[in-house]
Formats: sequence, structure tokens, C-alpha cells
Amino acid sequence: MSFEEEVDEIEAETILGGAPFFSRPGGKIFIIWLVFTVIGVLIGVYAPHHLLPVLHSPEGGDVWATVVVFTVLAAPVAALVYAIAFYSLFAWRHRSNDPDEPPPDAEPQRGNGPITVIWLTVSTLLVVVLLFWGITVWSAQQVVHPNALQVNVTGQQWLWTYSYPGTGVETRTLELPVNRPVQFNVTSVDVTHGFWPAALGVQVDANPNVVTVIRTTPNTLGSFIVQCSQLCGLYHAFMNNNGDVVTTQQFDSWLQSNGATPTAAAAAAGVSSGGSTTAMGK
Amino acid sequence: MTTAVAPPLLEDTQLGPKAGGFYRHQNIWTGLGFGIFLGFIGWLVSHALLQGSNWGTDMVVTCTMVGWVLGFNIGMGTFNAPIRWMLGHDQTHEDELYAAGVGQGSSRYLKFCTDHKVVGTQYLILVLVLFGVGGTLAMMIRTQLITPHSSFLDPQTYNSVVTIHGMVMIIATIIMVSGPFANFIMPIMIGAKDMAFPRLNAMSFWVVVSAVPCLLSTFFLGGVNAGWTTYAPLSVQAPAAMDAFAITIIVFVVSVTIAGVNTIVTVVTMRAKGMTMGRLPIFTWGAVIGGALGLYAMPAFLAVMTMMITDRVTGTSFFVPEVGGSQWLYENIFWIMGHPEVYVILLPPVAAVLEIAGTFARKPVFGYKVAVAGFVAIASLSIMVWAHHMFTTGWAPNLAAPFMLTTELISIPTGIIFLCTIGTLWKGSIWTRLPMWFIYLFIWNFIIGGVTGIYLSDVPADQFFHGDMFVTAHFHYTLLGGAMIGATAAVCYWFPKISGRMLNERIGKVAFWMIAIGIQVTYFGQFWEGFQGMARRIAYYNPHYQAANDMSTAGAYLLMSGWLVFLYMLIHGWRRGKIAPANPWHAKTLEWKVPTPVPLENFLVDPVVTSDPYTYGEGVPDGQEVPEFAPAAEPELVPAGSGPPEPGDVGGAS
Repeated sequence: MSFEEEVDEIEAETILGGAPFFSRPGGKIFIIWLVFTVIGVLIGVYAPHHLLPVLHSPEGGDVWATVVVFTVLAAPVAALVYAIAFYSLFAWRHRSNDPDEPPPDAEPQRGNGPITVIWLTVSTLLVVVLLFWGITVWSAQQVVHPNALQVNVTGQQWLWTYSYPGTGVETRTLELPVNRPVQFNVTSVDVTHGFWPAALGVQVDANPNVVTVIRTTPNTLGSFIVQCSQLCGLYHAFMNNNGDVVTTQQFDSWLQSNGATPTAAAAAAGVSSGGSTTAMGK
Repeated sequence: MTTAVAPPLLEDTQLGPKAGGFYRHQNIWTGLGFGIFLGFIGWLVSHALLQGSNWGTDMVVTCTMVGWVLGFNIGMGTFNAPIRWMLGHDQTHEDELYAAGVGQGSSRYLKFCTDHKVVGTQYLILVLVLFGVGGTLAMMIRTQLITPHSSFLDPQTYNSVVTIHGMVMIIATIIMVSGPFANFIMPIMIGAKDMAFPRLNAMSFWVVVSAVPCLLSTFFLGGVNAGWTTYAPLSVQAPAAMDAFAITIIVFVVSVTIAGVNTIVTVVTMRAKGMTMGRLPIFTWGAVIGGALGLYAMPAFLAVMTMMITDRVTGTSFFVPEVGGSQWLYENIFWIMGHPEVYVILLPPVAAVLEIAGTFARKPVFGYKVAVAGFVAIASLSIMVWAHHMFTTGWAPNLAAPFMLTTELISIPTGIIFLCTIGTLWKGSIWTRLPMWFIYLFIWNFIIGGVTGIYLSDVPADQFFHGDMFVTAHFHYTLLGGAMIGATAAVCYWFPKISGRMLNERIGKVAFWMIAIGIQVTYFGQFWEGFQGMARRIAYYNPHYQAANDMSTAGAYLLMSGWLVFLYMLIHGWRRGKIAPANPWHAKTLEWKVPTPVPLENFLVDPVVTSDPYTYGEGVPDGQEVPEFAPAAEPELVPAGSGPPEPGDVGGAS
């Protein structure tokens, strides 16, 4: 039995009312939808973890969580459109020996009020969920730690300079102590650059004559890349450097080896003058 | 049909030897000659007077480009009629007929021609040329990115290529549907004899043509190295190419504005008797709302580029922070244009998709009024979302949540468009001709483009993805995978009416699969790059990203090959395709009820409309019929640009 005959028979059965749910068009579309949804959800849950770089901060974790949640929410909607589109292509496709001969007109259907209302309601609810998620996460990120480590970031064509106020240290690599809140005060001396330590999950433009601020708390040891995310001229592609999240002691000694006095280094690293680690951020 | 009532065809009118006046002597060659001449004069004068001043080179480039644009349009005849009016003469009826192309054969395609069908065809050719240029530049970008440190392009050239690829594609996609189809097809659809302002229509085309050399000249003026967004202050400091770039935009905005006004006025005032707004084909709504949105958006582009030019040429400081200007001012005005512009691109092809889906599912468009409301909602919301391009600029962090709201709200009317599309396919008699294949590809791609957009609308996630290849992949899925594939469906759908010949669908299927697979491979490669954290617009990259880049480049070559096959199909169809019947798709809109090629002024007898064009399966007489044509004219009808019909061809009107 060919596929069309099968479909015809199924539709006949539908009219007679004897067909089980899964052999009706609605049932078949439901199965395709379910398969697509499961695939989408699985991709959403597993793929971002493998694709994203190692994330070194809670803000980075928020990026991962957002991608997962949004993919899982979007999967059923996308799957529904795909299921109907695929089903229409395979089941309702007109097959004829003469390709120039149009198929007979289908049963007209100029709209469907209830379905439109349901569609609108569901999509509005989804948008509300997305928005709620976004605003919750965003406002949680806005907490200002009064004692945060200050790092002044200056962009220029085509390099970044990091200075740690109070220590006199100025470097080309970004060293951060783990679990210590940090505030980046970002500016530029020439054109607009984009300060983008992707693994920290934060980003802000470096604008000339303005200081823009972003905050994060690195929570995982390791190194990451800082890139420029705004096209800034000839060697834009080379405007990147490494950053490291290190332990408090390492950070303290790194500052000292770069010329900071022990007192200033200890203050910047959040270490008490006696040398013992504070509980800051732990 | 009776021969007794046959009125003579307008295009057979014998014109006097002086009909047309100056138009008789003008064509693209006089345009080029005069443009080069005035450009040279502009260069000579400004060079002699201004070269020594502070902004000398910028002034010289600006004057040269303005001279070229004015000269080209004077040489083309764009200003003939207004100048004649100023001198106290009016165009005679014969002059108007000459300007509409009567008696000039195919040479009218190289002239200032007021016939909307000629303008539409000219636009189609221009769009293909622009896509060729933009596609070539895209291939250069992808070739550079095969290896992490390629020496194929130097960084300055690479940045210029990235910039001009972006701008050429933006120009091409803005005009890809509103140019060819809103000009050629839309007036016939609504039962009009031409656009409301035929001369402005021709002007909108030749003005945009004069902008293209300005844009390409940037490669020889040092290159625009700031990306198509040309963010200040980098662009204020860019080489003199930036002046040519800004002139390009200003001239282009003039063209888009003229075209938008023309489209709106045509639909408001030129509809046939009985063609109420509720009976308009859905494509017309897309063209009108897209055009109206362009009228809102594009002037901001003109404003920002004018300010840019004054910053560069006369020393103002709108965007120079050191002396009190603001780069955020630039970014705001730019994106007030930039986001609605996305929907200026998108709405006409999406409306064409609904139109075509109805024809090939043999069903009325599902939820016609809901879809129109969806277009209006998208257009209105799109003017309130611009700052989502500025989430990470540091400008107004407190506005992040409101702009997240407006941005995510847009997904509701966009979802409605999807509902109407799949509702139209639902239980349809799916006729899988070539345009319908592209409708399915549109659905596939546009869903991916839409879903990836919601990550970017979310501020915390955008902190990672902004300025990243993920963004590039996302907007290529919407603009190439969505809008451009919708436009491709429109080309396949209306090609028989425009050229009078059928496309070879066997070649078309090959092109379709190459394009379909090419898009997925190219942009999934770029999603992968984006997740890994590779920045946009970089000429060299960390070797860590190479696998993803090579995947993307491989897909891009396949995609470009697919487009070349598609182009071959178009050329093959235009030259040797089977002669098309007047209504090969058995569609019900008016453009299919007139013979092919469409006579001048489209309708010999004015149509009277009694229903909308979506009466499939409703068992009622077709409400959009064109009264019978003069049969005497029919045997002479041959496709545009072809010889006499060959034996065995299906000729004339069906």
C-alpha cells in the first residue's frame, strides 16, 4: 500500500471515527512533535556545556543556564512548526504525473479563532517566562560589593592595559584572585573597544572619555582570553590577551613581584596585613 | 472574445520623430559620461580650492561623489521633466509614452523608463548584481578564515571587505523584494495601470544605481575599516573612503524614501474598483507596511551620515568625544534606523511567503487579518527595540529591562506569522513546485533564526554573545535563511510573469539542495564558533576555533555554488526556458490574469474586483477577474527579449 493510500485510508477512518489516535493526522503530528521536542530538549541540555568555554564566574554560569532554559522552552514551539510543516510535505503533498497540473483546491479554512487565541496565549506566557527569567538573573547580577577589587581597564589600538589602583601595578595580562568580587572600570584612549572576557560572562564597551563599569566574581581557577568585541581598526584581531584566575596568595605575590608594596598588595588581594586569608567572598 | 472591441495596444503607438525630447538622447552611457564629467569637475574645483585645508581630502572626495551622483542622474534624464516644467513646458502625451519605453525595444532597460515593469526588471538585475558582489566579498572573508593566520588578505583589506560585504548585502536585501516585486507585480495585483508616480519610480532606481559605484569606490580610497555599522569615533578617523560610504548611504536613503512613498500612495490611491483594503493580496500589505517602516527608519540613517560627513568634512564634533561629542549619540541614531530596517527587509518577503504558500497549498491564506495585524504589530514594536544592540555599550544599563521586554514582545507577532504560514499549509493540497520548496526552507531557517534571537534578547546571555560569531550566525539565519530565501521563492514564483518563460525546475532542485545544505553547514559552523567565544570581524583567530571555521567555510563554498547554479537556472530560463502560459500556477491574484508579457498600462479594460483573491475551494466564481482582452493583440505576444515563439511552445494568454 502506497503512502498516499495509507493516508487516504487513515483519513477515511477518521471520518468514520474508528481510527485510533496515533493513526490520525493529529496523532502522527503529535508523535513527530514529541520526537522533535525530545531532540531539541536533549540538544538544549547537553550541547551548551560542551560548546561553551570553561566559565569562570557566576555570570558565566548564568549564560549557560539561560541557553539551556531558553532552548528547552523554545523546543516545543519550534518542534510544533516543524512537525506540521514536515507532515504537510509528506502526507498532503499532491503527487501527479503532470507537474503542470495544479492539485484540486483544498478545503478552505480562512482562520481559526480558538487556535489563534491559544497560540497567542501560549506565546505570551512564554514571553512572560523568558522576561521573568531575564530580569531575575539580570537584577541578581546587579549587586554591588562595596569592598570589591578595583581594576581599571584601558583599551587603546590595539591592546588592553590593566591597572590595580593603590598598588601602582600596571600590566598587559589580567590577573584576578578567586572568589573576590571585582569591579572593572573600563575606558578607552582612542576609539570604542569592547572589553570582553568571555569566560567571565560579562562584557562592556570601552568608550573614550567615559568610564563604564561591570562587576563579577571569578569562582574557578584557570586562564581565559580577553578579546576586543568592537571592530576597532587595523589590528582589531590581535587585540586580545590572557587572563588568569589565581588563588589569593598567588595574586598577592604576583602584585608584589610587579612592584606593589606588601601592604598595598595585601589590601588589593583582600589579605589581612598579618598575611592570613580573609573570608572575603568565600 | 470578439475582435470588434479590441483597442490598440499602447506600445504599438507610432510616435513622432521628436517624441520624448531629451529622453531620445539619453541612456546609461550618457549617464555614465555625464556622471564622470561632473565628478571630474567636482574633483577639479574642490582639489584646486580645498586640498590645502584641514579636511581637504575629505572635501575633495565628497565633492567628487556628489558631482558623480548629480551628473549621472542628469545624464540619465532623471531631472528632465521637472526642468522642463521650470522652463514653462509640459510633457506631451507622446513624450510620456516615449519615457514609458514605447518603440525602444529592449534598449529601454538601459534608459530612464517610467514603465513600472521595466523598473521592476531593472531592479531585479541590480539585485542580482549586488548579491554577486556581496557574495564574492563573503567568499573572500570565508577564504581568509580557512586558517587562523591566513595571508590571503591583509587586515586593512579584510576590514574593508567585511564592511562592504555588510553594506552591499543590506542595500541588496532592502531592495530585493520592494524593488522587483513591489514595482513589477504589486501595481498589477491591485489593478493599477502603473505606480502612482512613474517618474519618481524610475528615479528611485537610477538614484540607487548611482550609489553603487560610490560604495565600491571605497576600496580605492583606503577602505572603510569600521564595519557596516561604522561606529564613531573610529569612522570619524577612517580614510577618505568613509566620505564615499556616507554619500552612498545618503543617496540610497533618498532612493528608498522615494520608493516607499510611491508604494504607499499607489496602494492607497490606485486600487481597482472593488479592491478594498480587505481584499488586497497579502503581499501588498507586506510591501506597504515595509515601505512605511522604511519611511520611519531610513531618515535616521540619512541624519546620522550627514552628521558624520559634517564631522569629517567641516569639523563639527557630534561624535568626537574629546571635544564634547558622543559615540553613544551615533549608536542610538544608527540603531533607531538599524532595527526597524531589519523589518523593512523582512516584511515584504514574509508577506510574499504567505502569498505563495496559499497558491501552492490551494487554500486561502490562513488568518489574513491576523497576519496583517501581525505585520503592523511587528512594525510598531520594531521602532522600540533599538537599544538591544547597545546592551553592552555601557549606555543606560537601567534601560536593559525595558528593551528586553520590547524585544521579546516581538516574538509574539512573529509567532503569529508562523501560525498563519503553517495554518495555510494545514490540510492543503501541497503542490511542490520550486517556489514551494523555498517556502519550506524559509520555515526551517526562520525558526532557527528566531530561536537563536531570544538568547540575544536576554541581557545576561547577551553579555556573552554580543559581538560574537553567534550574532553573525543568528542574523544570517534571519536575513539570508529567512528573508532572502523568501525572496528567492518570490523570484521563482513571479519569474514566468516577468520573463515570460518557465524556469527549469530540475536545475532548480539542484540549486535548492545546495543552498539548503550550504546554509545549515555555514551557519551552524558559525554558531559553533560563537559558542566557543570567537569575536566577529576578526581577520586572524585562535587556532582553537579552526574546526568550526573550516566547517563554516566549507558550507559557504557549497552555498555560493548553489547560488551560482540558481543564477544559471535564471539565465537559462530567461533565454531558453519553456514559454510560460499567463497563469502557470493557476493563482487567483490579478497579475496572473493579464497576458504575458504584460502590455503597457497592464489592463486594456479596467478590472472590477468582487472578492479577495483567496477563493480556493470555496466554490464561488473568481472575484478577481480581468475583462477579456483584445484578441487581436494576442498572437503577437512574445516573452520579453525573445524572438518569435518556436513551434510547440505554449504561447500567449491561456
